[in-house]
Amino acid sequence: MTRRPTRKIGAYAGVAAVALLAGLALGRPEPVAVAAPLALLVVAGLAAARDPELEVDATVDHDRAIVGDEVTVELRLRAQVAVDRLELLLVVPPGLEGPSGAARPWAVALRLGAGEERTIPVTLTCRRWGAYRLGNVLLRAHDRFRLLTWEQQLDRRVPLKVFPEPQALRALVRPFETQVSTGSQVSRHRGEGIEFADIRPFLPGDRPRSINWRATARRGTPWVNERHPERSTDVVLFLDSFVDVRGERASTLDLAVGAAASLAAAYLRRRDRVGLVGFGGFVQWLRPGSGHAALYRLLDTLMETQVFATVAWKGIRHLPPRTLPPKALVVALTPLLDERAVAALFDLLARGYDLAVVEVSPLAAAAGDAGGWEPPLARRLWALERETLRHRYQRLGAAVVEWTEGVHLQQVLLEVEASRRHARLATGAGR
Amino acid sequence: MTGVVGCRLAAVAVAAALALAPLAQVPGPLRPALGCLAAAALLLAAGAAWRLGPLLAPALLALLAGHVVVLLLRDGRVDAAAPLVGAGLLLYAELACWAQERRPAVRDEPEVTRARVAVLAASAAGALGLGAAVLLAAGVPGGGGLTRLAVGVAAATLTLGLVATVARRTATRPRPPG
Repeated sequence: MTRRPTRKIGAYAGVAAVALLAGLALGRPEPVAVAAPLALLVVAGLAAARDPELEVDATVDHDRAIVGDEVTVELRLRAQVAVDRLELLLVVPPGLEGPSGAARPWAVALRLGAGEERTIPVTLTCRRWGAYRLGNVLLRAHDRFRLLTWEQQLDRRVPLKVFPEPQALRALVRPFETQVSTGSQVSRHRGEGIEFADIRPFLPGDRPRSINWRATARRGTPWVNERHPERSTDVVLFLDSFVDVRGERASTLDLAVGAAASLAAAYLRRRDRVGLVGFGGFVQWLRPGSGHAALYRLLDTLMETQVFATVAWKGIRHLPPRTLPPKALVVALTPLLDERAVAALFDLLARGYDLAVVEVSPLAAAAGDAGGWEPPLARRLWALERETLRHRYQRLGAAVVEWTEGVHLQQVLLEVEASRRHARLATGAGR
Repeated sequence: MTGVVGCRLAAVAVAAALALAPLAQVPGPLRPALGCLAAAALLLAAGAAWRLGPLLAPALLALLAGHVVVLLLRDGRVDAAAPLVGAGLLLYAELACWAQERRPAVRDEPEVTRARVAVLAASAAGALGLGAAVLLAAGVPGGGGLTRLAVGVAAATLTLGLVATVARRTATRPRPPG
């Protein structure tokens, strides 16, 4: 610990010296009677002061939590030498809320006897998703007469990951193409499956159990049933983290990350493979995977998402080839604000990917920031520009649906699905 | 928050008593000048108790100056109230420092406050006793004026030397790692 003298030492010694000199000059004992206590307190206080020997440890009762959960940080203190006053300050990172309020450090002053051990629980409420490091503790110890202070900063770096609250999703965006492996998605192709597709004349090699006896009896020649096979799909969640527009309640990135986590969990539950592309100043990716391990890997990567300001141009050619497998459904979660993300989505369309865009609308958040003085004309122009951009995507075959704050993700996904169906009908038999 | 304000108000109250006490002991013509000095001392003392820590030493010196002026005008009789002035100065300084030490964001446990009050009370009582002892020792007959002066110079030098030695020994230094 770093020891510092307080300004009391200088003040007391200085005043005592002046008083003693005044006593000598005047030849009177009264100034000495005034000076003596000050001088004695300094001498006795400094002589009695001992360096505090403190052992501090921090633990968190959970290393993973969901937004809204409470976690308890336990600070364990042990003093070898008595500490008359120990100020203990726990730094609460933004996104967590301590007993003193949001993003405000929590502090207490306590007294420790020699050899005493104390455990202090501090309850924090998780207000925002993210990966946190807890245990940044500042200590300041005082001696009995407050002549010296000792300071130390400890950073125990206990990890805590806060996941967004999952949203229940009953219907998801269905991909145009499926993969060859078995899954829960009904393929548009015909083969062995459960879902009935059509009937056709019997061909050599067809299994007798697939003969449709009713049709065979009516037509006189053997006919067989055709079915849609159940296949898995590859879904890539494209998360645009170039820009975050923060409103009073939530931000576009908060909504996008929450949606990505919910979508990942829902697709993986259906035995699909899910990958992630975090496209922003800091590009991160995960190849499509399935199962619980993939879900946790994906959530851990999502929690590391943050806006990293950069002017460097980024394109999808920076991604490893297997990150975007052929026939994969790409679900983009983007506020459509950064030119690089907009261009990357056009690039994906040009390469023939099945793209669905959930446009996390920044309009409401931006209006909140403007404090109500934003000229309506500028706002309308901006909205028109965004609508034009949406039409450009739609002309190329991508479904784009605006997601405004307060609307459930399920409703947005249903709109995306309807939009894709409409686009397929409009273009005639789809892609 | 209430505790911090209470500390500040108590410190200012003690400083006001110390600043105004000499006014009653001086004759009329000097009173306005001493009044100005008392007002300046009170202002400094309030500043030191509120937020301006570096004003502590000037405030103590200004409070002391009023009493020294009274001593200059006094005849040879010893002022029996000197220990009270010493204890008052110490009490004011401790209260002012306590007010600065307490921060609104830091919650003091009751035990810390109790211990601090006990130390304050003991310091004030000790200062009172020490001051009285000094005055009593000064009244003990012994030696001539020169001897007493020599003892005084030696005591003052020793005290200041001791303070300087201890202060140097406890100067800022980080503990070596490990």
